[in-house]
Amino acid sequence: MIDFGSLSFVTPWLLAALAALPALWWLLRLLPPTPRRIRFPAIRLLFGLEPREETPQRTPLWLVLLRLLLASLVIVALAHPLIDATGAGGRSGPLLLAIDNGWSAASRWPARGEAMIDALERAQRDERPIYVLVTAPQDGEAAGLLSGPQTAAEAMERVRALQPLPWPADRALAMAALAPLGDGAMGDVLWLSDGVATEPEADRAFADRLAALGPLKVMRDPPSRLPLLNHAPGRGGAVLTVNLSRATAEGARTVLVRASEGNGRLVTLAEVAFEAGQRGAEKAIELPPELINRIERIGIEGEAGAGAVVLLDERWRRRPVGLMGGAGDDEAQPLLGELYYLQRALAPFTELHRGTIAELAQAGTAVLVLADVGVIPEEDSGRAKSWIENGGVLLRFAGERLAENADPTLLPVRLRLGERTLGGALSWTRPAALAPFASDSPFAGLAIPEDVTVKRQVLAEPEPDLGAKTWARLADGTPLVTAERRGRGWLVLVHTTANTDWSSLALSGLFVDMLRRIVDMSEGVAGGDTSASLAPYRTLDGFGRLGVPPPTAAPAAAWVFDKGEVGPRHPPGYYGGEASRRALNLGAGLREVNALGDMPAAAEIGDYRVERETDLKPWLLAAAAALLLIDLLIALVLRGLLPAPRRRAAAALAVLACLAGLGLGGRPAPSLAQDPDEAAIALTRDTHLAYVRTGSPAIDATSHAGLQGLILVLKQRSAVEAAAPAGVDLESDELAFYPLLYWPMTAEQPLPGPGALRRLDAYLRNGGIVFFDTRDQGALEGLGEAGEGTKALREIVRGLDIPPLVPMPPDHVLTKSFYLLRQFPGRWDGGTIWLDSGEGRLNDGVASVLIGSNDYAAAWAVDDFGSPLFPAVPGGEQQREIAYRFGVNLVMYALTGNYKSDQVHVPAILERLGQ
Amino acid sequence: MSLLDRAEQLAAGLPPLLVAARQIAATVLPGVHGRRRSGQGDTFWQFRRYEPGDTARRIDWRQSAKADPLFVREMEWAAAESVWLWCDGSASMRYRSGDLPEKAERAGLLTLALAALLLRGGERVALLGRGFRPSNARMTLQRLALTLARPEAEAPSLPPLEKLPRHARLVLISDFLSPLPELDASFRRFADLGVRGHLLQVLDPSEESLPFAGRVRFQGPEAEGEMLVARVEGVREAYRARFRAHEAALADMTRALGWTKAAYRTDHSPQPALLSLYLQLAEPGRVRES
Repeated sequence: MIDFGSLSFVTPWLLAALAALPALWWLLRLLPPTPRRIRFPAIRLLFGLEPREETPQRTPLWLVLLRLLLASLVIVALAHPLIDATGAGGRSGPLLLAIDNGWSAASRWPARGEAMIDALERAQRDERPIYVLVTAPQDGEAAGLLSGPQTAAEAMERVRALQPLPWPADRALAMAALAPLGDGAMGDVLWLSDGVATEPEADRAFADRLAALGPLKVMRDPPSRLPLLNHAPGRGGAVLTVNLSRATAEGARTVLVRASEGNGRLVTLAEVAFEAGQRGAEKAIELPPELINRIERIGIEGEAGAGAVVLLDERWRRRPVGLMGGAGDDEAQPLLGELYYLQRALAPFTELHRGTIAELAQAGTAVLVLADVGVIPEEDSGRAKSWIENGGVLLRFAGERLAENADPTLLPVRLRLGERTLGGALSWTRPAALAPFASDSPFAGLAIPEDVTVKRQVLAEPEPDLGAKTWARLADGTPLVTAERRGRGWLVLVHTTANTDWSSLALSGLFVDMLRRIVDMSEGVAGGDTSASLAPYRTLDGFGRLGVPPPTAAPAAAWVFDKGEVGPRHPPGYYGGEASRRALNLGAGLREVNALGDMPAAAEIGDYRVERETDLKPWLLAAAAALLLIDLLIALVLRGLLPAPRRRAAAALAVLACLAGLGLGGRPAPSLAQDPDEAAIALTRDTHLAYVRTGSPAIDATSHAGLQGLILVLKQRSAVEAAAPAGVDLESDELAFYPLLYWPMTAEQPLPGPGALRRLDAYLRNGGIVFFDTRDQGALEGLGEAGEGTKALREIVRGLDIPPLVPMPPDHVLTKSFYLLRQFPGRWDGGTIWLDSGEGRLNDGVASVLIGSNDYAAAWAVDDFGSPLFPAVPGGEQQREIAYRFGVNLVMYALTGNYKSDQVHVPAILERLGQ
Repeated sequence: MSLLDRAEQLAAGLPPLLVAARQIAATVLPGVHGRRRSGQGDTFWQFRRYEPGDTARRIDWRQSAKADPLFVREMEWAAAESVWLWCDGSASMRYRSGDLPEKAERAGLLTLALAALLLRGGERVALLGRGFRPSNARMTLQRLALTLARPEAEAPSLPPLEKLPRHARLVLISDFLSPLPELDASFRRFADLGVRGHLLQVLDPSEESLPFAGRVRFQGPEAEGEMLVARVEGVREAYRARFRAHEAALADMTRALGWTKAAYRTDHSPQPALLSLYLQLAEPGRVRES
């Protein structure tokens, strides 16, 4: 390979043929053009005539130049020129492709994917053996990291199935995997790094090792493009503080943070601004606690990867509160009981449980409220104490029973026996109001209503530290709320009752606010349960999407959560079960994200550039072919074989045809026959599955092959015998003939025009089903929160009258219309299927819009011999089978509507009939 | 395919030609044509005194009643002449340049138009060499059209020699591009029979001007051979000179025989050519007769 600036040639010696062009020139000039043939009746008069000039007619100069241009185009094309061919071509020896596929590689994964394919394509041209090394271990072992030697095609297969993993790369382990390779064994080494440091020494050692294997080229992102890290947010009352960090302190940057519910519904969007010179950024999201409690996931818009996603569990959410009253408290007058007031105050923002101390004082409870409980048995008080030590908050309210039995073990202060009464028929004193809260009190800032008065209270023995323990006082200075820190927990006493017997506090909003402040101080459920290991429940994949845990995931002990120890055995995600789950976040364990350190001096540093090398050969050959056609036309004109007046038009037409052929190559033929009636009859004679032609030939071919594969499966397994799939052009074709329209999203496809939208609307309204496939779930397409396909979908449906969409409920007809299914994978797995809820009862409640993201057609696609065209990732053939089953269900749903949902009730109906 | 079918098929192609021929013929008035003497005919010519020998049937009683003598009605002699037409159907006539009509097409049109004109004048018309007897029946024109539309296999480029009656008229329509000696021999044989001939030369303009350029391989349409001309521009002047010489020689030849010659180029309207031919046909005939 020889380079001339950005232009390079694969077989440059062929350019030597350009030297033969002058000879061609001479030859072309010398040889006269082929004579025209004319039948001429008066030829007898011509016989014997000798032309006066001896010079024969020459080929015109411009024609010679045209032919020379043609010849040189062919020669240059055969020399195989490439624009921007990046270096590595033309080298011999094996190629080592080291790929970072940790969490930090997920951002700009498409660019990385292109770089991989690009490198492999170049290696394929040179027929070099290839080693592929990934740095993030799938199972914690070094064994699977290195593969090779293999051919470029095999490597391509492996690389296409590669996806970023949700844990950090382990470069020390990757270096160990390189052990079998000797120094200098590689022709060259390409390290597609993610630009993020793991451990400085390991990184450097890894780079040195790579450099020792062969000439090293490192691709890395500049620090400004490195991924952001989303740390665990802080929660305080109505505020959730998002905490982000970045790899560089340069420049100001604003990102959009998206807080959403578990089912993906958006709760709020917040802008988080990094100031110039700051590597961290914080943003407090202020929302009503009810809304904050709903947040399960905080992601960074436009950032892919597990590092950008924080999952929230119960520690950030509603606190489980245990309630326990004195014996028989509620039975007589439940609406006046203390527990009733507490329940009404706490229920909106907590999860209430009732029971005994023994039941409640355990890991599941954040706050334990004891309303006027006097004597606590020895056993219970011991249990409660250790629970408090581990982070529980014990909140006690005073009352008759406490006043009589002031057991100091579970009280923050020592109490005097009996209570103090303020006001009353025989007293001069009046019920006391509350004093303003001190600034160091947890209640600081709460407004005190004037009508809150306290009639009776228990009194604390004066002690030196009483003042420090006091959170609230009455106007005369006597403590109303006292608290004591015990271990990681708190012991809080309110010196009056939780109902209106002793004070009117329980009637005021202040009561709720105070309770909320106290509950917010608790640590949550995690109150120090150190023993149990939690099994992985739902884990994040490399792009930050929740899914089924990988087989390598193991149950995690509590210290894993404390340290944020994320790895192959503990992928980030939820652990435990549906009821009590605990989130393990990547951002909790990693302090910060740093740029990769210095590389060995010999290493060449590259950047992921979007542009790839451009192969000029086909273009040049096409231009040569076009010139050849033009030359042919010219020759025909010169020989008079074209009728004279039409020559110009014919030539123009031919040139246009050439250009059209170049530009449009391989556009599928229109599906409809010329006669609309005939076409309609043909389309309605059989069932036709249809896909929307997007204008991208590869996607359309995949859609076609996918529906073809699905039709094959339908024919084998069900009574549906569909005819060949039809490609539909929305702008011109009638949709009414198709029960189901598969519509893959591409970023490039043009928006449908007003006519197409009208037709589509009518189609949806009249019972048609459109299955949109955003195809975003895949490795090279996925971009986190909103992929290309999703964006395209948003643009397209903007003009459509689409009913509100919900994630598919687990008992939806689609899950049982033919096969019983729980998952709906396509080529990828894990995306949610959205559909319209059918609440309007339009079309008998059958959904008209389905949105999936798993690139279904690719999973279904088969070639002419019935073998699949694309690998199904990660589940392989098993996943493909499920994908087919989903396809069968989908077609059944489209054809039979809600029939199967009625079928489900058949046993019940039969039973009723039997009676 | 039955004969009728074929006839219809043939007839389908006819009307335009026939109509066109009639249209052209209509623009040329037959004018004077009577023999200007008494004889067989339909038109009244004169009354004359009854002479002994006249049959009683010929006496015009109405005229005789006006005066003493008996009168006999005499009609103008309208003796029809026989005209033989020949239209060259050889391959060299199937030539055209550009959008112009083929020479053969124009020749056929002119033949038919002339025939229509002659028939209207009461002349008897026949096609030379196609087995016709001169006739002025009503269907003659149709028959002519049918025959002309049916091309001859291996049509000769010279008129076929046929035994014609003395004083018959012969109209030859062709491009007359055959070698002059052959033409001369052919014409002479007809002249020896006492036939008066009229030539109508139909030519394509390109045959006159040789407008081609560049390197051209010319082919003769009647297996005359091929000729490669490296630069047509180089031989154009010489060709034109030769062409003019050929024309002049042809004119001399006809004049020597006492025949007439008219020329028609396919880029011109056919009416003037038809008119001149008709006049040539009519005028000298009367002079000669009187």
